Amino acid sequence: MKPPVIFQIGWNACINCGACVAVCPQEAGFISDFDTIAVNRPCDIACMVCEDICPVSTITHYIESAFDNSNFGAFSPKFYNHDN
Amino acid sequence: MVTPKYDVVVIGSGPAGATTARIAAEQGLLVLLCDKKQELGAPIQCSGAVSRHGLESAGVVPSDEFVLEAIYGFGVYNGAGESTILDYRQFKPDEYGEGEGRKPLGYVVDRRRFDRCLMTMAERAGVNVMLKTEALGYQPLPYGICEVRLLHFNEEIKVHARVVVGADGLQSQVGKWAGLRTQIKLTELASCLQFVVDKVETSGLLEIVTGHRWAPGGYAWVFPKGHGYAEIGLGVIRTMTAMNARQHLDVFIKQSFFRERFSDSRILEIQGGGVPLAAPLKTQYADNLLLVGDAARHVNPITGGGIHTALSGGVIAGIFLGSIIKAGIEPNKMNLKKYQDLWLEEMGNKMWQLYGVKKHIFATKDIVQRDDMLYRTMSDYFSPYSEYKKI
Ligand SMILES: Cc1cc2nc3c(=O)[nH]c(=O)nc-3n(C[C@H](O)[C@H](O)[C@H](O)COP(=O)(O)OP(=O)(O)OC[C@H]3O[C@@H](n4cnc5c(N)ncnc54)[C@H](O)[C@@H]3O)c2cc1C
Ligand code: SF4
Ligand code: SF4
Repeated sequence: MKPPVIFQIGWNACINCGACVAVCPQEAGFISDFDTIAVNRPCDIACMVCEDICPVSTITHYIESAFDNSNFGAFSPKFYNHDN
Repeated sequence: MVTPKYDVVVIGSGPAGATTARIAAEQGLLVLLCDKKQELGAPIQCSGAVSRHGLESAGVVPSDEFVLEAIYGFGVYNGAGESTILDYRQFKPDEYGEGEGRKPLGYVVDRRRFDRCLMTMAERAGVNVMLKTEALGYQPLPYGICEVRLLHFNEEIKVHARVVVGADGLQSQVGKWAGLRTQIKLTELASCLQFVVDKVETSGLLEIVTGHRWAPGGYAWVFPKGHGYAEIGLGVIRTMTAMNARQHLDVFIKQSFFRERFSDSRILEIQGGGVPLAAPLKTQYADNLLLVGDAARHVNPITGGGIHTALSGGVIAGIFLGSIIKAGIEPNKMNLKKYQDLWLEEMGNKMWQLYGVKKHIFATKDIVQRDDMLYRTMSDYFSPYSEYKKI
């Protein structure tokens, strides 16, 4: 099983096209207010097709376990692009 | 507060939703049409090419309000730049052209103005339209009705309806509410980017460039955009390339056989989106719910065109809803299946057939052979002597 991931969207490049949502197998409602996949909660499917479809490659992710709530000061998540 | 009651609540006022709503209202139904946007059609995610026949068969009169440019035919290119020009002004000069008594084959429309015009037509037919209204969910209730939750300017509203229509486009959530599997496979969604540009000449033709080199899994296009502007774009299947659509578009503009033609181009707008080159959904209905347009994947799998199919699907859905609701038939899953049967009969079976053609082409491993098949299929498709009935 893949570890859950949290997505980050580079809003400057995003054209709000919704393609990432169209390929996403998550249940209803896993979306942001800008017609992208959700960015405020982890995705436990982690199939990464949302990153692949993005016409401007503006979706990155980090693995949820890299986020340590208890030690927020030391937190420095590494963002990945699916191509990395 | 008394819960407002409608026969039909349509979610999404694109071509599919606005047409479904208008036709249903013309049948005498009480209809609510809601869209989460403040300005329909914006940001634009469409090149706007639609046939005259497609508009007219849905009762939409071409108008200066939304037509950017008239279209008279096609130019289909292979990867090396060889072309098949299908100019209907030459095939049928008495029928197609600019003069008296002649007509265009189709149009490039401004989707902002087009979608607003379709919404206005629905409104004038008696539909209650609400913008800035996002649909959040639905729940079937006893006695053949359902409850739909809407968010309007941050205020949550509940309405009752007999049927909720999901016309919420590519990123549709409505089907998922009912547990339908709506996501599109990565191998079947073209990732698209286009630029509206100045200083690229066009001649009333939709130009389509095939070839794995320029657009793996899809094709590139140059469309006239009115006022001397043009649109250069492409769609790619991401499993067939390591580059994204933007990188491919850059290569196409700078390196293709059109590079001289594009050399002075200036970008005026950047648009994009996903185009399902997929089969229609196998199940487009549930209790008190049906899907239409992109939400049901009613898109031509060869061309990626979805305006005509959205309009036609809207007409079919609107008439069907009128007939069952006026007859007092309960809109449960079993009875709503007849909508899909009707749709398959009128256009869906043809789309399944085109999907078979598309699958056959892209299952071909040899790139040269595949490129050749795509070029020939596209040239045949747009020919006036095509064996494919245009959809
Ligand atoms: C780059 C590109 C180029 C294209 N070029 C062409 C072309 O030249 N010709 C052609 O025929 N087709 C083209 N298409 C396809 C065409 O744009 C679509 O098939 C067509 O818009 C589908 O219409 P629709 O009404 O189903 O959905 P849409 O037009 O997507 O409308 C859906 C509506 O639903 C609303 N909505 C979504 N969710 C909610 C919610 N929860 N609550 C309320 N409202 C909601 C949206 O705001 C939107 O207004 C292109 C597509 C792309 C991406
Ligand atoms: S990783 Fe897969 S399931 Fe998760 S948001 Fe992206 S597309 Fe959806
Ligand atoms: S696919 Fe990319 S550009 Fe399109 S909405 Fe998603 S993040 Fe934005």
